[in-house]
Amino acid sequence: MAGKSSGDRRKPLRNAKGGKNAAPAKAIRVGVIDYKDVATLRKFISERGKIRARRITGVSVQEQRLIARAVKNAREMALLPYAGSGR
Amino acid sequence: MTHQYELMVILDPEIDERTVAPSLDKFLNVIRNDGGTIDNVDIWGRRRLAYEINKKTEGIYAVVQLTANASATVELDRQLKLSEAVMRTKVLRAEEAIAQVAEATKAAEEKAARKAAAPAKPSAAAPAEAADKAAE
Repeated sequence: MAGKSSGDRRKPLRNAKGGKNAAPAKAIRVGVIDYKDVATLRKFISERGKIRARRITGVSVQEQRLIARAVKNAREMALLPYAGSGR
Repeated sequence: MTHQYELMVILDPEIDERTVAPSLDKFLNVIRNDGGTIDNVDIWGRRRLAYEINKKTEGIYAVVQLTANASATVELDRQLKLSEAVMRTKVLRAEEAIAQVAEATKAAEEKAARKAAAPAKPSAAAPAEAADKAAE
């Protein structure tokens, strides 16, 4: 399924030491998460517009939740695209 | 009970940008008449939409910070939505965002204080050395 193929794609991003779900080398640092701050939120979405998983971004649970909500708000206001094929 | 709100509107790009501020102000009178206050109006101007809305690829964005009670804010949102010139609206409670900013600044201050307490850190010295080498 889609999950499997995307897992393969993400492999190079994983820790070089070869842990199964290794923590990212470095978490993306964020200060305040705001849905209007498109430049920051872009770091947390894939090329297709999907929200990146926490194992990729390496942020805390609390932050990931805030990010997800901010991305969804930004999508509603057409600041960010909804997930799609990306043309 | 008043709250701080943040209102974002996307206006039709076909309307004149100079008429945005006065027409928006007319809507905001709903808040003023109810005893609320408009703290800040930020008109971003024309901006590309991430996807088409009503077959339009552009929109005029405006962000308004206001303090009012819930009923006035709901009424403002309702009236905005009735207008043909308004393509989309979003009202959010701003308190959470403000609390978040306060938390972030507090954390940054604590970090700075800790750094000041222990200045002889190798990580702090390394970039300075690198800069020196680059200068040479």
